Amino acid sequence: MNLDFQHCIRCTICVANCPVSRVNPDFPGPKQAGPDAERFRSDDETSIDKWIRLCSQCKRCEVSCPYGVNPAQIILREQVQYGGKHFRPLASRVFANNYWLGAVNSVIAPIVNRLAPMKLTKRILNVFGISTYLPFPRFHIHTLSRSWRWKGHRKSRKKVVFFYGCFLNYNRPDLGRDVRDFLASLGVRVIMPRQVCCGLPALGNGDIETARKFARKNARILAGYIDRGYDVIYTCTSCGLALTQDYPGILEVPHGRKVSENSYNLHEYVLKLMEEHYIEPVFEPFHRRVAYHIPCHLRALGIGYPAAGLFEKIPGLEVVILEDNCCGLSGSYGFKRSNEDTAVRLGITAARAIKDIDPDMLVSDCGACRMQLAHFSGIPAVDPSEILIKSLKEGLKGSRFQGGKN
Amino acid sequence: MNGTYDVVIIGGGMSGMMAAVALADMGRKVAVVSRGDPVCCLSTGCIDVLAAGNDPLEGIGSLPDNHPYRLVGEDTLKASLEMFRTVMSEERGAYVGDVHANRRILTPLGRHKITCLVPVTMEFADFHSDEYIHVISFNEMKDFYPNYITSRYKNSGCSIFDAGVSTTMSIAERFENRQFLEEFISWLKGLDIPEGRIAIPAVLGMHFAVNVYNEISAELGRKVFEIPTLPPSMPGLRLFDGLKNALLKRGVNLYWGKEIYSVEKSGSQIEAVTLAGAGRSARVQGNAFILATGSFVSGGLHASMDAATETAFDLPVYLPGKRESWFNDDFFAPGHAIEKSGICVDQSFRPVDSRIENLFVCGSILAFSEVMKYGCGHGMAIATGVAAANVCGELA
Repeated sequence: MNLDFQHCIRCTICVANCPVSRVNPDFPGPKQAGPDAERFRSDDETSIDKWIRLCSQCKRCEVSCPYGVNPAQIILREQVQYGGKHFRPLASRVFANNYWLGAVNSVIAPIVNRLAPMKLTKRILNVFGISTYLPFPRFHIHTLSRSWRWKGHRKSRKKVVFFYGCFLNYNRPDLGRDVRDFLASLGVRVIMPRQVCCGLPALGNGDIETARKFARKNARILAGYIDRGYDVIYTCTSCGLALTQDYPGILEVPHGRKVSENSYNLHEYVLKLMEEHYIEPVFEPFHRRVAYHIPCHLRALGIGYPAAGLFEKIPGLEVVILEDNCCGLSGSYGFKRSNEDTAVRLGITAARAIKDIDPDMLVSDCGACRMQLAHFSGIPAVDPSEILIKSLKEGLKGSRFQGGKN
Repeated sequence: MNGTYDVVIIGGGMSGMMAAVALADMGRKVAVVSRGDPVCCLSTGCIDVLAAGNDPLEGIGSLPDNHPYRLVGEDTLKASLEMFRTVMSEERGAYVGDVHANRRILTPLGRHKITCLVPVTMEFADFHSDEYIHVISFNEMKDFYPNYITSRYKNSGCSIFDAGVSTTMSIAERFENRQFLEEFISWLKGLDIPEGRIAIPAVLGMHFAVNVYNEISAELGRKVFEIPTLPPSMPGLRLFDGLKNALLKRGVNLYWGKEIYSVEKSGSQIEAVTLAGAGRSARVQGNAFILATGSFVSGGLHASMDAATETAFDLPVYLPGKRESWFNDDFFAPGHAIEKSGICVDQSFRPVDSRIENLFVCGSILAFSEVMKYGCGHGMAIATGVAAANVCGELA
């Protein structure tokens, strides 16, 4: 049993940071759901805390806690405990396996894309506990996993494995291919080996066995490359959090620590290349005012805001960082009918903060945040790498590479 | 994420954040390392400078010679408080008050607390006891009992609004909703409250509190003020939010949720600190370092049965004599001896007896600060933070 909860002094900073308890009175907040209730729990007893599922695992409590209590971890363990002993609703089962869902949807993408916006489809989904307030993301036949698997010179000094995650794979393969080509253009050898879902959706839906199965497979593949001098690159901040925090943590995956210590956020990696003078790019101007909505899981990664560090170097780009709001969608959380009200309320609040600064576009690292906030604010949303790639496409031509030529 | 900075500040509380603002304004590249958010949710959001007497600045002259305020000096203290006010008003969290005059705010127990600068939402909290006070509360609101207040003031009344939710956070969230605010205002207008002031627990919104407050005041045409609540306290959170956004605007890098794992030294200089957390550790290098980790509660100091240690750099900690001498028969007597403990610094805010030249210390970790006894919490944090930043900024 983990005794970290005993460090709690009940300062309530986690409650102040909890988006869910703010709008949903049924969730008592991380202090009560985490350290307070933990005193009455035992590994041998079946969990009865039904409301534990209301936590969206945004990890804001964990980031804010000054005493190292990690309420989100305590709650996650309890969610898994609860999920293992109770009937899990259909929606939870579906979203736990969103990797397979995506695989099927991408094969029949033209049909799915046409069916999804239909009223009848929505009504059927609602019956099964799936919320439809948000338009579903479009699926593509030409997924990343069916794209060219490597780019860049074999003898490059810098080699990376690109862990692209389900969202890029199924919903934004174009962006995934751009990132691949962008890295190659920096003189980096990029490999995109076969890979499965990071496991976070399964974990978040109380299915630790499925999560572990996915994680084991990924860790084995990634660790093999790491041993051969590759670094792991991720763009999805939730995938990144699973790789760095959950693989060695709650999932206890073999090679978890190795994966954790060798995984880089894309922008963090580009900054690293610049710091090591591997690349000396010239940033082309990009004249826009953007609102940068920080995803909760980027905060939780504890790597700062690397994309913001790159944005500073782009002339003409005016960035306002917004980090106080959770978008409310939290992956599959908001897609469940039971959480719809919470997700909508939080989405409206976060969108208002964005509209308040009147930006040309909004930027966020997380695909789910972008979907939710573009919907509620009506402002087009892009991934930070899209701006970066745009700014560097021209700038790279004039820069000198010390790395291998592509 | 590794990084190299002019100044690395350890501790994201009041003192560390103000030092960061000051240094960033001097054009320095700054990073702030914090184990988590400061416990701002326990704060009233008010800036106590010195509780004794009417004029806090005048009172500083009568403090013991070794009190941190004496190191700061009156000019820097004034300048630092002015700087704080400028920063907060830029962040939609304007403060009012005069550094030469203490003022009172109403507490949820119906008593007064003496402070100096207050958020604009508490501007009218200092009232004459003859004046009529109407307290507004919310149905089943946690930890707020208007009777504590109305029983102390004969000339008072109370009304309860049903917000549909009962915690400070959730009510504050509702107030940022247009429809809710309008409903609340029209309910207030229909109450027929006698001439006087209106007191509302501090739940009038989070990010847009000043707008919410101004709208209510304007619509009613009355003097309205907020009463700070039990945690989580909104005015404290707004204060932290404002300062944090000021840092982000100034390009200060925040290393949040990270703890110092190891320290690299060479001779009399600290070269870098390594931070541990999930994933890869981060090496943060700096020309100078500022220690603002706070006292025992914040984890800057750690006490065992026979000693006290400083948790980041293992600096020598001053303790006021032996443990046996700390007892006092009067439990409520102000000034427990342990409040004197902390890090002793020289005129330039460098720790004495440590032989480290590029480390500066500020905030409540300083020895002899006696924050509770003198009622100088945030004021001392701001002043020493800015003063340490001034010395440090010249070097880094």
